[in-house]
Amino acid sequence: MKKIITIAKWEYIEKIKTKAFVISLVLTPLIIIAFSVLPTLLSNKEELRTKAIGIVDPSNEYFKELTNELEAYKIDNDQPNYVILNLSGKGKTLDEMKNEADKEVLDHKIEGYILIEHGNTDSMSMQFRSENFGSFQDLRRFEEKINKIRVNHELMKKGIDPEIAGIFQNNVEIEQIKIEKSGKEGKQDFLVVFFSAFIFILLLMMMVIYSGQMLIRSLIEEKSNRLIEILISSCTPEELLSGKILGLSALGLTQIAIWSLIGISLVGGAVIPPEAFENILPMLVYFILGFIFYTTIFVGIGAIVTTEQEAQQMTTYVSLILIMPIVIAISAIQNPDTMIVKVLSYIPLTIPSIMLLRFKVAPVPTADIIITLSILVLSTLITLKLAAKIFKIGILSYGKRPSISELIRWLKEK
Amino acid sequence: MIEVQNLVKEFQNTVAVDDISFSVKPGTIFGLLGPNGAGKTTTIRTVLNIIKPTSGKVLFNGESINTNFLNQIGYLPEERGLYKKSKVIDVILYFAQLKNMTRTQSLQEAEKWLKRLNILKYRNSKLEELSKGNQQKIQFIMSVIHNPELMIFDEPFTGFDPINQQEIRELIFSFIPQGKIIILSTHQMETAEKLCSEIFLINKGKEVTSGNLSKLKNKLGGNHVEIKYNGDISFLSGLGEVVNLDAYNNYAEIELKQDVEPSSFLKILTEKIELTHFSIIEPTLNSIFIKLIKQN
Repeated sequence: MKKIITIAKWEYIEKIKTKAFVISLVLTPLIIIAFSVLPTLLSNKEELRTKAIGIVDPSNEYFKELTNELEAYKIDNDQPNYVILNLSGKGKTLDEMKNEADKEVLDHKIEGYILIEHGNTDSMSMQFRSENFGSFQDLRRFEEKINKIRVNHELMKKGIDPEIAGIFQNNVEIEQIKIEKSGKEGKQDFLVVFFSAFIFILLLMMMVIYSGQMLIRSLIEEKSNRLIEILISSCTPEELLSGKILGLSALGLTQIAIWSLIGISLVGGAVIPPEAFENILPMLVYFILGFIFYTTIFVGIGAIVTTEQEAQQMTTYVSLILIMPIVIAISAIQNPDTMIVKVLSYIPLTIPSIMLLRFKVAPVPTADIIITLSILVLSTLITLKLAAKIFKIGILSYGKRPSISELIRWLKEK
Repeated sequence: MIEVQNLVKEFQNTVAVDDISFSVKPGTIFGLLGPNGAGKTTTIRTVLNIIKPTSGKVLFNGESINTNFLNQIGYLPEERGLYKKSKVIDVILYFAQLKNMTRTQSLQEAEKWLKRLNILKYRNSKLEELSKGNQQKIQFIMSVIHNPELMIFDEPFTGFDPINQQEIRELIFSFIPQGKIIILSTHQMETAEKLCSEIFLINKGKEVTSGNLSKLKNKLGGNHVEIKYNGDISFLSGLGEVVNLDAYNNYAEIELKQDVEPSSFLKILTEKIELTHFSIIEPTLNSIFIKLIKQN
């Protein structure tokens, strides 16, 4: 045990000092933040601008009311979100109006303009003409308001009280509520669920690939400079193996700890919704066990491969299995009880990621937690034993990669 | 004491070590000699318990070798490398602690050894900044810092300049009075000749010969004389007493038949040519080695 700790300490301290580690420590969360936060930030920015919007409405049926409705939207410090300009000049043909308005757009005097044709007839049509496709939110607002005004007009023509029209337009939206075991209710937002689970799986995958490669690289280094011979004339292969796994897991946990601190500080800044951190404890258990399981697999691989290129290929394949559940994530969120989700949550390689997903979607039955954890722990132990065996023989076979039949023979060897 | 009994190691298609036995007593340097690919490294790995023998036994002080002995073994492998990016002192401490030394002990010993090999000034340098010779010194330190009972050096002198070779040779000698069991594997016969009292010659996995070096020389060396002369010695090759003639300009090495007395051969020579020098020479281990391997 003392030697395992010595090895773990060495691996931990030597690796944590490397530039590559420091860079990945900072870079990874930056990338994740860039992917998850930047789009929100950008689209939020969009709202913070007053936009000049023109209206071309030859019938003059909509202009006044539409202007009132749209100018009611405010952004920060009570500035209007839209400034409306009337571009339907008197005595001009529709084509002339269009040409002039288009020119205004191209000269960047206005953001775009709403073109309402045949406003007073049944064959009314509408366009929003701009240089770029406008934001979805803007378009939705324009459409909603114009339709509201149109319906009002139509009803009034038929002599119906506009108040009744209001009844038609007050839609009630369905809100999704997730029922938790404890009886408290939580709001279920598909995107929050998807992305928070996604981020965890992505994080796990990145860590697995990163430390897996680090582990294999160190094994290949020790193999090629024959330090491995001194190492295993100083400790048993099992000790060496466990020490390396322990050291790298500690390294991984350090990474998570630092990343979590960043995450928590971001929650403080309300950028990541706090729901993302629900069930964080059981998820951490799966995360850590999953990480150890995959690291153990990599040790076996590291004992077999002889060059870094080979190692890279193998790690990539293994890591792909890890993200496979992402593919079925959408259907899993919509219906966590489907067969494929159940099956995948009993396969050791996919347990970590699928369980991370399931925790986000619906309460996981205790029985399932116990079963999956047992499978994961058991397969980690078995893999550890097999890896140690391969490792024992593999580390001394230099030069060529063993064939499958050779591997099987190694495993059978006592 | 190390005892190797009827050791056999087979790999998939080849027999790397075929039924060899030897023992090494404390306070001796045992030379494990043989050409490349003879099975030296496989033998060493079995002794180190890195690989399991197909059959046969390795006993360390009467007990089957096992992982409990790891801390009493010091090993310097033939091919050397180190963690290039790490600091000298850190690497030495790591391996010393892997041999169950405490940190304080390791630090003390490390500094003692660095000083002894005149490289204390590199204590905090990265290994990649050291010359090849100095890196090898670090490896040597790593193999002896824990004061092991059994020391195995695989080609310890390759890569050292003559001065450092001398330094390392003296160090290895200094382990003899301490009663260490020392196994030296090499194909440099000159080195082995200077260091080893016992040798074991291995070729193609099999024992060629073994035993006390000076006795072996007597037994296998044959009957050699060297002469310096003026005149024509071509008649020698026709002579019944001569087995082999190595003639140069006014100098020759002659192997005589086992039963021929050098003094009577001297008489024959003085009758025919003018001798300026005549001496009986001991064969070098090198010549024995080449002869035996060729016969093999």
